Amino acid sequence: MKYDDQKIRNIGISAHIDSGKTTLSERILFYTKRIHAIHDVKGKDGVGATMDSMDLEKERGITIASAATYCEWNGYEINIIDTPGHVDFTIEVERSLRVLDGAILVLCSVGGVQSQSITVDQQMKRYKVPCIAFINKCDRSGANPFRVIGQLRTKLGHNAVAMQIPIGLETELKGVVDLVEMKAVYYEGENGEDIRIEEIPGHLLDEAKAKREELIDAASLFSDELTEAILEEKEIPPAMLLAAVRKGALKREMTPVYMGSAYKNKGVQSLLDGVTYLLPAPSEVENIALDMNNNEEAVVLSSDPEKPIIALAFKLEDGQYGQLTYIRVYEGTVEKGSTIINVRNGKKVKVGRVVRMHADQMEDVDLLRAGYIGALFGIECSSGDTFVSPGLNMTMTSMYVPKPVISLAIVPKDNKSQMSMSKALNRFSKEDPTFKTHVDPETNETIIEGMGELHLDIYVERMKREYSAEVTTGNPRVAYRETITQRADFNYTHKKQTGGSGQFGRIAGFIEPVSDAEFIFENKVFGGAIPTQFISACEKGFQQSMAKGPKLEFPITGVKVVINDGASHAVDSSDMAFQAAARGAFREAYLRAKPVIHEPIMKVVVESPTEFQGPVMGLLNQRRGMIIGSQDEGVMCVIESQVPLAEMFGFSTILRSATQGKAQFTMEFAVYRQVPQSIAEKIALEAAQNKKTAA
Amino acid sequence: MIKKEMINRNPLTTLGYANQDVMPNGGLGAVLAHAGLGKTALLVQMALNTMLQEKPVLHVSLNDAVSKVDVWYRELFNDISEGNDPAEIQMYWEKIQTYRFIMTFRVEGFSVPKLEERLSDLMQQNIFKPHTMIIDGLKFDESGRGLLVELKEMAEKYAMRIWFTVHTHRHEPPKEDGLPLSFLHVADLFDVLVQLAAKGPEVYIKALKGQSPDARKDALLLDPAKMLIKE
Repeated sequence: MKYDDQKIRNIGISAHIDSGKTTLSERILFYTKRIHAIHDVKGKDGVGATMDSMDLEKERGITIASAATYCEWNGYEINIIDTPGHVDFTIEVERSLRVLDGAILVLCSVGGVQSQSITVDQQMKRYKVPCIAFINKCDRSGANPFRVIGQLRTKLGHNAVAMQIPIGLETELKGVVDLVEMKAVYYEGENGEDIRIEEIPGHLLDEAKAKREELIDAASLFSDELTEAILEEKEIPPAMLLAAVRKGALKREMTPVYMGSAYKNKGVQSLLDGVTYLLPAPSEVENIALDMNNNEEAVVLSSDPEKPIIALAFKLEDGQYGQLTYIRVYEGTVEKGSTIINVRNGKKVKVGRVVRMHADQMEDVDLLRAGYIGALFGIECSSGDTFVSPGLNMTMTSMYVPKPVISLAIVPKDNKSQMSMSKALNRFSKEDPTFKTHVDPETNETIIEGMGELHLDIYVERMKREYSAEVTTGNPRVAYRETITQRADFNYTHKKQTGGSGQFGRIAGFIEPVSDAEFIFENKVFGGAIPTQFISACEKGFQQSMAKGPKLEFPITGVKVVINDGASHAVDSSDMAFQAAARGAFREAYLRAKPVIHEPIMKVVVESPTEFQGPVMGLLNQRRGMIIGSQDEGVMCVIESQVPLAEMFGFSTILRSATQGKAQFTMEFAVYRQVPQSIAEKIALEAAQNKKTAA
Repeated sequence: MIKKEMINRNPLTTLGYANQDVMPNGGLGAVLAHAGLGKTALLVQMALNTMLQEKPVLHVSLNDAVSKVDVWYRELFNDISEGNDPAEIQMYWEKIQTYRFIMTFRVEGFSVPKLEERLSDLMQQNIFKPHTMIIDGLKFDESGRGLLVELKEMAEKYAMRIWFTVHTHRHEPPKEDGLPLSFLHVADLFDVLVQLAAKGPEVYIKALKGQSPDARKDALLLDPAKMLIKE
């Protein structure tokens, strides 16, 4: 292994479905000599593409979960990381995007910028991932790379600039003209591996000159040296031009565009050159860790292999040898035999086998330095965990895990599904801390909980796909809560004399609302009215009552209980008696404390083409949404709003149909807020009905 | 409590503008200052005041993202309501938030027809009908008189008033009436003009146009940390 941080590229390949992402990956692996034969996605040889290692993927010709893989090109090491395609922003997706330093945006030369391209582009934008574009399928009839460049500009707002022009199009595609070197590049041989460089054909010379001018013009914004050379009308050396393009690309202010046809083996090697020239090395990307000793203060990491270790486990895989944990090292060096600490639980872990992955085969290595991606064997952890050297207390992801806001009952269809389901649930809850599962003691149903409808949908779908667990789902339920709005006194005596030893306990005091805590208990009993040994029983009794409101049976939050008086009996008082007294006292006071229902309010951000701004706002408004604002971003606009979760069911379908599928939204929990009276009545009615059916 | 406190601290009434509304329907007002003196903060404070009176405010920003503008409001509101019961602050905040709508544009993408299109989207669907609009970040030296005339017409049409922030340049000495040269070509369109000026470490606020005749003429001191009037 070589250790030159400047020669590492951690990249993702993102694309619309069917624009040839897997074929391109396959060609990249072939030209970098990681594989020795090309197997097409739906090839007749039945082998399938190398990146599609799951049987199902090979069968259907789609990529479901391709592994991280690495290859070498001209002395550069390129790690290609799987970028999950789902639109919803689960913690898992976020993590995968974090480990990328750059990306190739693959577009179809016929289809152009399609809806999924818009989605993936926005993901890249959100995580500030620099990218280069590859216009694929230039051999197809109707191919028009320059139309696609236009769409990149208008639909995605990229400052897209061609680095090449095609030599011939559709069936006539022979190669490309490199506008930096001003040479024609032909890809020959059975698999396009023989590159022939020639002078530019006469009929393309004028076009090439004009496009090079455009490229130089665009790049000059990022380099004074280049601007000077233009003004002095000097010859522009390729290195100077590339350096300027690189500056623009790293700032995400310029998108260099390559073109070709992966299927016909044209243009892939030049694209790889582009990856090494133009995408950033790990140390050129700012990575931030949170200092746990300093209130999660952000710390910029230096990518120095000599420093203590900071590494992120971003993906888990169950293999035949146990759990394989993919990590990215941000600082320091993870060596075989070294000791690292899992920040989440403080557990010390000894590093055993360290491997680098190539689709489903692996290669043992001794160490992984800062900037590298690899996998560890036999380490018990969850995905998203941060590993550090002893003595360090930093984390790559916030330790704050929001509580789930939505739940769904799932029932397996048969016994086999039951087994697979529990396996899947176990795995998912390990991967995603916001995904929780439990069994409802009353109905005996398995309940899954998460951060939104889509979030749960994805897991149900994955259960089917990856674990072949067929489940039926119930209606999603919103996690309502109850709280009180005013102070109420209580003075309750629990007395029972039904043979045997009696029960006696009296508790007096009050409950009042608190905004910054779920439950506070304060003991102001003086003079032993309640003997000290029973105080904790009182607290326990009150705390038990918080689990379920007496009327609607939602969990109660934000209550402060103060006890200031009481009475006990020398023989009949017991822990049990005071617990029961506390429950009775709470019931008595609760209804007088004007309880209200709180509902989860979601921060909903819709990204939509500007022409649909009106209808989108209408949709949000109809859903009791409060629109915070709208942000105009050229062709797209971003609408920020707060909408009750209860109103968001089925929103994705409605949004799609209202915007011709061009808008997308993200949703995250924002705050709990009081339900308006009319809605509260409806919820109370529903709760009563549910109770009846359950009985 | 909070409501009363805020209304009492309204910088404009303290400065001698006749009533809370200051401007008629279709009126234009501006806060002039060098960079960094607190134009936005002052306007956000006036906006909060308007929102507390249950009058809707549309905040149009040509510089900042929605989330950043939101933070302005949140922080100023917290500053002003400091010392009150946190539950009450939260309740008021939730209540007045519904009287605010933030729209942001890129400076180069901003035009009156575009703004009007967005605005009518909101009004037709009964989502939001502003009483007051704030436009923050418009470049007066670059946008001609035409744009301001169009905005004034729009304000009249929709029965609202518009406040602007006007960025004045340090290298440009003001004319006798205190107005910068680059603003003169549109000054007559405005009903109210207020200026923020720094003297040493302190920031003063001064009425340049539109206050009632018996109002106090001297400038008031602002707390530069919070941009609130110093008692």
